Amino acid sequence: MDSIVILFISGLLGLFAGMSKKPVASLFIASFGLIGAGLAAYYRGSYNSPFSSYAAFVPTQGIVIILLCAVTLLALLGGFKRYKNDDEHTGDYFGLILFSLCGAILMAQPGDLMLFFIGLEILSIPIYVLVGIDKGSSTYAEAAVKYFFTGSFASAILLFGIALLYGATGSFQLIEIQSNLAIGIWQSPMAMIGSLFILAGFIFKIGAVPFHFWGPDVYAGASNAVLMYMSTVVKIAGIYGLINVFGQVFRDSYFFWIDLISLLIVISMFYGYITAWKQTNFRRLIAFSSIANAGLMLFALADIHNSNIFLFVGAYALATIALVVINLAVNDDSDALANWEGIAWKNPMIGIALVIALFSLAGIPPFAGFFGKFSLLWSATPHVPYTAILALIASVIGAFVYLRLLILALKRPKVQVRMQLSIEQMIVLLLTSIASIGAIYFI
Amino acid sequence: MALILLPLVLSLVAWLLPSAQTRLFGLIASALSLAWSIVAVCYFKPTDHLLVDFGLRFIRFSIDSLGFTMILLTNAVFFLVFLSQFTSNITQEKRFTALALLMQFGLVGVFTTNTILGFYIFWELTLLPIFLILYWFGSFEKPRALLQFFLYTILGSLAMLLAVIGLMHATNQQTYEGLLVADLNALGNTSTLLMGGFLFAFAVKIPLFPFHTWQAETYTKAPTAGTMLLSAIMLKMALFGLLKWVLPIFDGVATDFWRWPIISLGLIGVVYGAIIAIRQRDIKTLFAYASLSHLGLIAAALMLNDFDTNQIAVVQIVNHSIVSIGLFLAAGIIELRLQTRNIEELGGIAKVAPRFAFWFAVLTFVSLSVPFTAGFIGEFFLIKALFSAHALTGFIASTTLVLGAVYMLRAYQAPMFGPTKIAAFADLHWSELIVFAILSVAAIYLGLAPQCLTDFVAQSLTQPTH
Repeated sequence: MDSIVILFISGLLGLFAGMSKKPVASLFIASFGLIGAGLAAYYRGSYNSPFSSYAAFVPTQGIVIILLCAVTLLALLGGFKRYKNDDEHTGDYFGLILFSLCGAILMAQPGDLMLFFIGLEILSIPIYVLVGIDKGSSTYAEAAVKYFFTGSFASAILLFGIALLYGATGSFQLIEIQSNLAIGIWQSPMAMIGSLFILAGFIFKIGAVPFHFWGPDVYAGASNAVLMYMSTVVKIAGIYGLINVFGQVFRDSYFFWIDLISLLIVISMFYGYITAWKQTNFRRLIAFSSIANAGLMLFALADIHNSNIFLFVGAYALATIALVVINLAVNDDSDALANWEGIAWKNPMIGIALVIALFSLAGIPPFAGFFGKFSLLWSATPHVPYTAILALIASVIGAFVYLRLLILALKRPKVQVRMQLSIEQMIVLLLTSIASIGAIYFI
Repeated sequence: MALILLPLVLSLVAWLLPSAQTRLFGLIASALSLAWSIVAVCYFKPTDHLLVDFGLRFIRFSIDSLGFTMILLTNAVFFLVFLSQFTSNITQEKRFTALALLMQFGLVGVFTTNTILGFYIFWELTLLPIFLILYWFGSFEKPRALLQFFLYTILGSLAMLLAVIGLMHATNQQTYEGLLVADLNALGNTSTLLMGGFLFAFAVKIPLFPFHTWQAETYTKAPTAGTMLLSAIMLKMALFGLLKWVLPIFDGVATDFWRWPIISLGLIGVVYGAIIAIRQRDIKTLFAYASLSHLGLIAAALMLNDFDTNQIAVVQIVNHSIVSIGLFLAAGIIELRLQTRNIEELGGIAKVAPRFAFWFAVLTFVSLSVPFTAGFIGEFFLIKALFSAHALTGFIASTTLVLGAVYMLRAYQAPMFGPTKIAAFADLHWSELIVFAILSVAAIYLGLAPQCLTDFVAQSLTQPTH
């Protein structure tokens, strides 16, 4: 709770600081808020290695908040170049992002379905605004409207699921629902349909098949800076919420939904990676890659008592932010993938960060992405072995999507053009690279 | 500890150094690693295990005599590659030096790690540098051949990852010693499947017959240094994995199941590679198929999992590294000076470059397994072992001697002594001369006294229980 209060207050201060039209001031306030929220969470909960906590029921509270704050901080720094251009609205951007983060924290650690739903709405509504904040552009407006309509629809389904579940069990408290379901109510049609509706709402939020259609259009329509936030934090909050709700509430009907989840994993991964293969637009590629990664995240549900999702979502967020920062630095206007040709040669920092991010996403050791994937598969394989095999086959296709991008970016240009990165972009790329390598010490 | 981390540190230093010093730095760095490992091996008792622990949970190191042999081989190969490429443009490049040293770190890790996950991680770590080296310095007009190489490798690696996860779950062990005592025969068919995962990864890397299609094109298009690194040391990771990890751990049901399929594939590779090599005009492609043929023989013999054969296989692994460095260097020298690798366009080199002709001849004879060279010891005993398994396998394996003579002599005779077709050919530079001399001396020394190596590695090879 301390973290949410700190975030909310710094968000408010950020809004007021925005009036001074000094973007740096807003950035400082937002950064202090995020760091403070992370520290508050750190002193409230301890972090256990995903491998040492075999009996852990749900992930430790503090570490999720720290992860969310750290990722948001990276996203703010990485997108600062874009935010500061629009100095009338810099405060609005930061305020909205921090308010949205409050919702993400509420949503990731629910104890109550009503509170969870409120968290989800607090997370979503600022993002609808953020996507369309540039009022002059029609693509942003299109993306925002599309996201708003599909998102509201998904919220409605989720709410319907919550209502059905309330009808079946008579409570919003997760613990009470669980104890009611455990005595056999989970077999009632009302509870089953309710669980599927809640699942559908979550699947929409993390953007896995079959509720992925908004992803590519909205990602391509949003600006790079907003994309950094919404392709990472929303997914992290969504998957943690899903694990907590399903791991706590629906663990008795495990064998009812696990086959469905397996199917979603396989279809998401194959669909995401195969479609990403032929993309010519960077943000669409990231969108399809994120669909496939959302499929991988669902593996956390296979072993509800030991969901080692932390490393995976962390690695995914780091790599995605690094890639989008690079895209923002070199290719903010057109977003065509063809502009990526030879960008690794423009600046050594871009080259190193790019190689690490892409290898990390492809799941090749010794980078964080591998350890994330390994810890997921490590706990999931005994439960869903065939899904794991199919997922690995899909990962090969995925590795090719990323290697293709890498080959494009490493192509030696005829004329070398050097380019300078701004200081905060350097910091983000450096931090993501170091964290991607340093993950080896967390396993 | 320094033995393992030195290449990594040197690789980081190479990034920071100014470009002008890169050429010398690469040579000194690789010489430093080699010297360090030679000093370390002098103080090492073959019965010892050197334990190294960096406080990582899933990666620990333990160096035994087999590991030491492979470290020495790795460091020697990297030194020879840097030395032989001293005059070429590639060692001027900071990126090449740093990546090669990073790859050296990965290889040393593969050969020394004590945990199965560590083995996988280092195995994959070597992929990043070789990918960048091939892409930046190779002549891949379209990335298709390179992507094919990676499709195969990553597919194999992921099969191995599944097998590693399965093995760790099934046995609840992760160290080499723990896995050795774990009873995998109790798992029945599961252990066969797990071993299949490992074998798939190894079959791609060795490569065995139906998985070899990436090899010829990758070798041909890669820069000379890349080809030497790939064939002389990187592909040996798979044979090492077979020898140290898979065969002792899966000794029993699984090995019995996979023995004859792998031997058949290896022997098909022996004959098929040799026949294709005979028909090749491109000298580098010819050596690539020759490599397929030679490695198929080693893989087939290793599957017999016989204590004496395993020792000889180590000799043959070392010998193949020597031969492939020498032959690909010779091909590289020809390509560098004449801008062609086509045998039919070459002829009469021996007249203008007698020193090159002499040393190339020595390496050709080592490759032909002439007595008193390491190749003879290796191939003779491996074929003998295959004969004792079954007369037919022995017979098929021994065709490598005849077919090998056909393609190697063709590759040597026409360019060197054929009618003169070339205008000028600069003879060997001193750096290349030293490399050839070291290789030849090593091959002949191993041929005369193989027991210095076999006795050394015998300490760490486990006696099969059956």
